Amino acid sequence: MTVSSYFLPRSLPEALEILQRHGPDLLVMAGGTVAMPLINEGLSMPGAVMGLRRAGLDRIERTDGALRIGATATLTQLLDQDAIPVLREAARTTGSWAIRNMATVGGNLFTPPPGGDVAVALLALDASVILAGPTGERALPLADFFTGFLTNQLAPDELLVELRVPMTSDPAAWVKFGRKHANTPAVVTVAARLRWSGDKIADARIALGAVGPHPIRARQAEQRLVGTRLGPDAIAAAAAVATEDCEPFTDAIATDWYRRRMVAIFVGRVLEQLAPRAEPEGR
Amino acid sequence: MNLSGSRTLDAPREAVFAAICDPATLLAVIPGCRAIERTSETEYRGEIALRLPGIVGTYRTVVRMADADPPGYGRLEGEVVGSLGSIHGHASFRLTDADGRTTVDYDGQAVIGGPLARLDSRFIEGLAGSLIGQGLGNLNTRLQRHPPAGASGDQSPTIKETPA
Repeated sequence: MTVSSYFLPRSLPEALEILQRHGPDLLVMAGGTVAMPLINEGLSMPGAVMGLRRAGLDRIERTDGALRIGATATLTQLLDQDAIPVLREAARTTGSWAIRNMATVGGNLFTPPPGGDVAVALLALDASVILAGPTGERALPLADFFTGFLTNQLAPDELLVELRVPMTSDPAAWVKFGRKHANTPAVVTVAARLRWSGDKIADARIALGAVGPHPIRARQAEQRLVGTRLGPDAIAAAAAVATEDCEPFTDAIATDWYRRRMVAIFVGRVLEQLAPRAEPEGR
Repeated sequence: MNLSGSRTLDAPREAVFAAICDPATLLAVIPGCRAIERTSETEYRGEIALRLPGIVGTYRTVVRMADADPPGYGRLEGEVVGSLGSIHGHASFRLTDADGRTTVDYDGQAVIGGPLARLDSRFIEGLAGSLIGQGLGNLNTRLQRHPPAGASGDQSPTIKETPA
């Protein structure tokens, strides 16, 4: 263990000041579910660590048509909110109780795939990230936040402080497929949200996890759905084209070949959950 | 570790080759680059700070242009050393004219030592590919904003600064 300094700021300004003072050699930690295993195994040797758990960034509140989720709100806290049910479902299928009690919503954005399940749901919900730096805050669509595998738009002097999720009545659905039922890394995760205009889809979001360098949008599949009534043919077409939207990889959980095939199956299943039910006969 | 890739930049290849040899440009486009110094006609020394999920650190780098045929070809050798281990490697790149734009094809191999070598190769290769992609994207943006007048960066042999 090489950590010689541990900082526990009590406010955001104090946290930003510590980051400014120590620069990129400071390890910023929220729940520690990514960092601590690396430190314990000698794969990360930071000289200084800043824990954000007391910085007052863990509130979840509804304001101005949005659900504002503090970056250090835990996944267990996310289970307690009822404003956006699909986020509760995403949190419920991530890790174990012990992990969910520690892991944070903001930290989930930095978890390498096949982790980062909650970020997939946030992507489908058009969430924004709020980044705070020495000159103030800026908002960025989550879809623009990720730049590559383990890389993102966060500047060296910035902290992720909040996720802002627009409140919507659009139907949304979520599914995570792993090798076992619970507490498992994903083979693929899929989140979808549809906006209807009459009996046709006006806008669609499909987000995929564990099949790319970071959570990604299946944009071709989204476009394929617009203007359809989400019948079996439209679902099959969108599911097929979603396999071209992803860049799956091979790891101990699954091969890239298998992951690509599961994308088609689970995009189809998520969309079936959102499809209009046929009216029973005789009504 | 093997790495290869290709990307087309919106600038003529003379400008791209000059930019690759220019310390000021390298400082601006390499992700996390805090300082760079040209120590001889063909050698650069620098410092790169990376802030990754769970892992932060500063890495000293030395890169030599082992072979060059401007503006179409170059071969780089170098090493990256930090508290988590070292990476020794070489890479060659070809710049091909594509109707006034330039296609960069690169291919490299590296050997990883120390604790870094215990990380899944998917992580190292994925991260390296991601950083190269980000660097080439930055280079493309810079070339469009500041088209070079022509010559390479011989006028600025030593640069040490911290980017804003």
